[in-house]
This record gives sequence, C-alpha cells and structure tokens, in this order.
Amino acid sequence: MSVTSPVSQAAELDPLLLRAAMGDRAAFADLYRRTAPRLLGVCVRMLADRREAEEVLQEAYVAVWQRAKTFDPARASAMTWLIALARNKAIDRLRQHRSVAGDFATELESIPDEDSIPAVRVERGEEYRRLEQCMEQLQPKQRGCIREAFFSGLTYNALAERAQVPLGTLKSWIRRGLLQLRACLET
Amino acid sequence: MSTSFEDDQNNLRYAEYVLGVLDADARAAVAHEIATSDEAAAAVALWQRRLMPLTELLPEVAPSAGVWPRIRQALGWDVRRESRSVGFWGTARPWQWISLGATAVAVFCLVMLLRAPVGGIPGAGHIALMVSSIRQDNGVTDWTATMDLDRKQIVVVPASFPAVPIGRSTQLWLIPAGKAPISVGVFAAANTTVLPLSKELLAQLGPTAALAVSYEPPGGSPTGQPTGMVIAKGAISGAAT
Repeated sequence: MSVTSPVSQAAELDPLLLRAAMGDRAAFADLYRRTAPRLLGVCVRMLADRREAEEVLQEAYVAVWQRAKTFDPARASAMTWLIALARNKAIDRLRQHRSVAGDFATELESIPDEDSIPAVRVERGEEYRRLEQCMEQLQPKQRGCIREAFFSGLTYNALAERAQVPLGTLKSWIRRGLLQLRACLET
Repeated sequence: MSTSFEDDQNNLRYAEYVLGVLDADARAAVAHEIATSDEAAAAVALWQRRLMPLTELLPEVAPSAGVWPRIRQALGWDVRRESRSVGFWGTARPWQWISLGATAVAVFCLVMLLRAPVGGIPGAGHIALMVSSIRQDNGVTDWTATMDLDRKQIVVVPASFPAVPIGRSTQLWLIPAGKAPISVGVFAAANTTVLPLSKELLAQLGPTAALAVSYEPPGGSPTGQPTGMVIAKGAISGAAT
C-alpha cells in the first residue's frame, strides 16, 4: 500500500465511497484495499484480540456497503466516516459479550499515552495536530480519561472502576474535557 | 453559537456516544436519534470529525487474506457471474478466462434453447443458464437472478440491500410478453434464495419474458397476482457470464 498524505488520501477516498454508494463494487474493493489496515489497527487496539478484530472489520465493511448511501462528504471525510463506523462496531461488540469490570487490572495512571506507542504512522494530519494542541490544554486527568475512553470503548462505569474514582467524578472530568475540547477546536 | 446549559447537555450525549462511554441502552437510543433526526446525525458527525483524528497515532494492521472473501460472501456476491468485480485478487485472471468460457458455453446453450420449440428443455448433460438483473426504476440493481434450466431452479441473490417494509414479503414474478404474471415464489430479500422452476415457468422463460418483484402480504399474494407495488423489474437476457 502506497503512503499517501492525508489530504490526497481524503481526496481519493471520498469519490470511492460515493461510487460504492451507487453500487460500484470495484470502487468498494479499492476502498477496502486502501482503508482496511487503518480500520483494523483501530479494531485491534479496542478489542485487543486479532481474530475478533478481524470479525468486527468484516462486519464493518458489510455495513459500509449497506450504509454507503448515508455518507455525506459535506459532514465528514470518508476516512472519518469509516473509522467511526468501525469503532461503533467494535464498541457494540464490547457491549455484547464482555464483562466490563474486572477484566482489566490496569489503573488509569499506568495506561501509556501516545508517546510510548511506536510512531509507525509518520504522517499526521492537520486535524490531528489541532486536536493534540487542544488536548494539551486539558488537565492531565481529563486528557487521560478521554484518551482512555476513546481507545478502550469502556463505559463510564467501567472506566470509573478502572480509575478507582467515583462515577460522578469521572463523568465530570470527561464531560468538562469534551466541552473544553469543543470550545478549543471551534476557535 | 448557542452554549446554553441544555444545549450542552444534549450535545454532550452525542459526544459521549462518539467517545464510546455510553452503555448499550443509551447507545441504542442515540443510534435511533441519528437514524431519525438530521440534527442529531449532524451533531454526531461533527463530534466524529473532532475526535476521530485521535486514531492517527495507531499503527496500521494488515488484514489476513481471508477477510475480503468473507466480506464478499456476506454480501452475497460470490456467484458465478460476479467474478468480474473481483478486481485486485490475484485469481482475477484465471476467473476471467473461466468466466469467458462459461459465457461461450452458456450463449451456445441459450441459442440451442431458443431454437428449440417453446418449452423445450435441454436434456441431461447440457448447461443452460439465463440471467436477469432485477432493477429499480432508478437503475439500482436489487437482485440478480440466475435460472438454471437443467436443475429447474432459479437463484435470487441480493445485489444491494433494499429496505423491505416491516410486515411485507417480497415475491418474484415471471411476466411473459403480453401475458399475466406467474408467481415464481416468495423469497428472502436480503439472502440468497433458491426457488424451483415449474414446467409452466420453464416453458415461458426467454428473452421476451421479464422478472418482477412486488411487495406482498407475509407469505405472498393471496390472489395469485401481484397486489402490491412492483419495486423492481428485469429483462431476461443473455446468459450467465
């Protein structure tokens, strides 16, 4: 798979998804080839199980074909739409058959932030840099909770248990963090 | 920009949905809102744009070779005539040749069939296939039907995912030129369905006949003729590729 910059990638993916929405199977196959590694990376991170992640990936692309007509390029890029759909499938899977508490002994403080994850993807888009700048402005606890919530797909309850803080405290960290992020990103 | 407390609370639910912290019931409630309210869909899309860039720091993971064939299978694409859209698979080339060969054989059989008197069915050992793309008026193919005259059956495969109203069945009809529709049978809109072809139906198959699908009460039309809306039609043309 060739390395493409986020901008040119977006420019190529949107038409592919729009063509898939019109029933173009070749465009859908091309879309899969270009985007599946990225989506599987997300699924593996969330489900921590390669086989299950591939099952979810399969479900996700079946849903991509079925729901392609609902893709609106004015609202989000194809890549954003695809990742959001794959994450939703992964979260649904987590809700279906995992006991949320107890599976994870890890405490919030010990969860690695992005600096300890090998930077395999060298290129990061402008949107990522903006989001990171805004994340930096949050309190460390807010930042940690939001990042952990995003990548684990855990519920408020499970996150609170994991972080060993009262549910209300965790909720308010995350909610305030989200509102601050929104305000920061809108400026 | 409105930032009242109430707006924030409502908007936060969408943020929480995108972040993934809601439990199954709350998630389902938001998913329903997205499906029914444009405003909710827009708000969720906005949060997706805000948060999805977080995934840019994740390493990519190449899927195993088996995932794509399973997706095709789940979509009901793996029937003979679909081999053309395989595209990037290494097997595309041999498939194309096989497919070309199958086309030649099928066209030959079709010619033989059409030369035979109406109702003539090739004897054992012949291959005779006919196909039809059953399309909506807007050109979207909803189903492809392959008629196997030797096995006396028709295979209906969904090509898209037509939303069938709750409480309605989809019924397939054969319409010979200038004659009343004959029921082929009720079929599952979203799955591959194999229906038997009676002698009466076999006798009417040919390029002048058409297939049509209508919505009917559960179990099929009570009258023996279409009673509901015809949603898609297809000419019976050529042979399978």
